[in-house]
Amino acid sequence: MTGWPVPSAAPSVARLIQELNKLPGIGSKSAQRLAYHIIKLPPEEAHMLAEAITVVKDQVIFCSRCQNLSDTDPCPICTDDRRDPTQVCVVEEPLDVLALERTHCYRGLYHVLHGVISPINGVGPEDLKLKELISRLDGASVQELIIATNPTLEGEATAMYIRRQVGQLPVKVTHLARGLPVGGDLEYADEVTLSRAFQGRQEL
Amino acid sequence: MSRPRSFRTEGVVIRSAPMMEAGLMVTLFTREWGKLRAVVHGARKPSSKLVGHLEVLNCVDLTLHRAHPGNLDIVSQAQIVEAFPALRMELEGATGGMYMTEVVDGFGAEGSPNQEMYQLLVGCLRALDGGAPRDHVLRYFEMQVLDHSGFMPELQLCVECREVLQPGEHLYSPEAGGTLCPLCGMKGQQVYQMSVNALKALRYFRQSSLEQACSLKLEPQLTRELTTLLSGTLKYWLDREIRSRTFLERLA
Repeated sequence: MTGWPVPSAAPSVARLIQELNKLPGIGSKSAQRLAYHIIKLPPEEAHMLAEAITVVKDQVIFCSRCQNLSDTDPCPICTDDRRDPTQVCVVEEPLDVLALERTHCYRGLYHVLHGVISPINGVGPEDLKLKELISRLDGASVQELIIATNPTLEGEATAMYIRRQVGQLPVKVTHLARGLPVGGDLEYADEVTLSRAFQGRQEL
Repeated sequence: MSRPRSFRTEGVVIRSAPMMEAGLMVTLFTREWGKLRAVVHGARKPSSKLVGHLEVLNCVDLTLHRAHPGNLDIVSQAQIVEAFPALRMELEGATGGMYMTEVVDGFGAEGSPNQEMYQLLVGCLRALDGGAPRDHVLRYFEMQVLDHSGFMPELQLCVECREVLQPGEHLYSPEAGGTLCPLCGMKGQQVYQMSVNALKALRYFRQSSLEQACSLKLEPQLTRELTTLLSGTLKYWLDREIRSRTFLERLA
């Protein structure tokens, strides 16, 4: 049976849709919407977007000390003299550094693991920036290692693994308090969160 | 039987992954409906009332609904039934739990209830949480999963000549479906050596309760042999490695 040919996008548009479709959380419909939005943009804005992608790929590197993403090596946080080099906070992802920096209550340094031990997904310690962390602690002036992995099963497993790895070193290992979120409701809190909130209670 | 649009069930969270801006996609192994995937909207926001209940390995009482037929179920209520807290506080226990959920994820089919496997998973998580020996629990779990999935290897007869196995050393082939007598094992199949103690231990794990299995004396060499035989069998039927095994072995 013959019919009308199925209309398809121009090859250049189809390629853009295909590339956008590879991004996390972008399905084919969203990719089409984004592609047609880009087509409608003024040329200078579209070129700025393309340039931003090119520059970020060319210039962003891992800081050799904290493994965070940066334009310079060492990164601005590692070279800031006002920060306390005796404290290192271990986080899963670069975005976690931004979240902690927004609190303005931590003035130490960071170490970014770029993931978390996830046996189910085949991610082991060798896939993380753990070797770099151990070599950084060995012989350095670090006195406290603050583990700020997410309070998930995998985050906790990573924290326990790090604790075991640095057990021989003269470093105090702590991790962020677990408990009730601000604005939370006791009635809806799960037993694990509540029991940890009790364990971590503080004198008023 | 298809699931109703709104239903309540009990299940173990066996997997979770971020979804969209702040959502979570959870894979559950439920008592009544087997494996199913469901969406938890807004779960990753700090204000979420559900995320703590839906942590991997939790056994949860759930209410789910579906807006349209064919869509994924949406979790509307969740309440922890058992959280296995001691299991989470220890690296070996947590990894053992993750290993079991990966095996159940592999053998459990979506929309196919398997109450025996559900009870097995909860029972084994409870045993690990209570401090039962990890190797015993995991080998028993593997053996019983094969049984409840219909892949139990033959351990009484030679799978080739159908003769009753005589006391002594034997051979084992997941591909052939179980134990081979020494003569039949020479016919070019890829086989594992199987000691008489390994054969006895596998038969015991098949017939006994978890409590009885945990009281069995296992020498390190026998534990290694059972691990090799059972992991080879799981790999054959799943057609892939159990990824968490690598990390589990590293901790041993």
